[in-house]
Amino acid sequence: MDDRKLQIFMDSLLPLFKAGVAYTIPLALVSFVLGLLLAVATALVRLSSWRIPELIARFYVWIIRGTPLLVQLFIIFYGLPSAGIVLDPFIAAVIGFTLSVGAYSSEIVRAAILSIPKGQWEAAYSVGMTRGQALRRIILPQAARVSVPPLANSFISLVKDTSLAAGITYVEMFRTAQQITATTYEPLLLYSEAALFYLLFCSVLSGLQNVLEKRFDRYTAR
Amino acid sequence: MIEIRDLHKSFGPLEVLKGINLRLEHGKVLVIIGPSGSGKTTLLRCFNLLELPDQGILTVAGTEIRFAEKAKIPRKTVLGLRQKTGMVFQSYNLFPHMTALGNVMEGQITVQRRSREEARSRGLELLGKVGLSDKAEAYPHQLSGGQQQRVAIARAMAVEPEVLLFDEPTSALDPELVGEVLKVIRQLASEGMTMVIVTHEMKFAADVADLIVLMDQGFILEQGSPQQVLKQSQNPRVRQFLNRLSGDEQ
Repeated sequence: MDDRKLQIFMDSLLPLFKAGVAYTIPLALVSFVLGLLLAVATALVRLSSWRIPELIARFYVWIIRGTPLLVQLFIIFYGLPSAGIVLDPFIAAVIGFTLSVGAYSSEIVRAAILSIPKGQWEAAYSVGMTRGQALRRIILPQAARVSVPPLANSFISLVKDTSLAAGITYVEMFRTAQQITATTYEPLLLYSEAALFYLLFCSVLSGLQNVLEKRFDRYTAR
Repeated sequence: MIEIRDLHKSFGPLEVLKGINLRLEHGKVLVIIGPSGSGKTTLLRCFNLLELPDQGILTVAGTEIRFAEKAKIPRKTVLGLRQKTGMVFQSYNLFPHMTALGNVMEGQITVQRRSREEARSRGLELLGKVGLSDKAEAYPHQLSGGQQQRVAIARAMAVEPEVLLFDEPTSALDPELVGEVLKVIRQLASEGMTMVIVTHEMKFAADVADLIVLMDQGFILEQGSPQQVLKQSQNPRVRQFLNRLSGDEQ
């Protein structure tokens, strides 16, 4: 690596890191938290016996899973203005990613709830709990433990998927790399550097996943 | 105290209970025996509405419920009945994410809205009663089967039910752990707890029961005192069932 490239690499470290911490991570975090709430709600509706809401939930999951995320983001950001709805890039991105996380993770949450033995419901009912109480106190805490690994997967995917928001003018880490490339003409260097940052962020998240799993482990026999 | 009149229950085309009539006084112990598939567990699960009967009348501790096809039982009635009953399951079904004490406190806090301190002191008292004071902070997976089942009994007692229901409480236990669980149940019987017990432990049944019901193919084949059912019954099917059991024990 010659001196010029090294200089560009060093000069880009801080802007990329800042973009990651100030834009990529917040986008991922906000979308994940909202998406998770949507996922739990969707899973509960799908496990309920309400016909119409159940159909709506199915329809929602079907649409989101069956269409590309980038296309969804384009519809929200570039398409909706034609219908009179103009959104800030951040808001548009949050909506797109939340819908995506909600649909995919609802299947994880649903499977986790179904994996809890029927005897747990019955034990909760036998002490007089309502369905809601049984769910909140007995079933969901156990389902949460089961869903940590697959949900961590979803979150890590999401952190990387936020780079798609570059396509709707949200200046996160990847778009920052694009901007630096535009002035330095070093695409290989800059995109590799951005890739390294994604790798770093995702590695930290994997570590957090392990910590979380250990915390839950105290009540499981191994 | 508990009364059942003409109770019917089907699973799809299979009729599991074909008109059951029963009466149990307050403070008495009813033991239900019978071959597997005879409907005894289903009957027990009707007492706290884990199974909803199709037809008949169920009265538990003053709450009378009439069942009919398609008639919906109000949620409040169901919850009310469940608070008057406690259940102990074959596979314990303790809440694995809570300690032994947590398990015993849970219903008191969530259902009965007791304060944590109150639930805690009653929980500790009950764990003491089943001989597990030293295991209050242990998680279920750290306990033996017999210990788990005793915690389950304490959990069922914690909400102060008027009737305790036991579904084959010792069937999942290693033989050497059966005694400690039966001892706790015997003690409850001597204290005048009203109980309905489904079991295969015949000697225990003979000792603890005030009333024995022998079920077969969805009917009550014989009912009466242990003496009447186990010793004096002339019904050939009853003799056949009892002989097969004593054959197993040899």
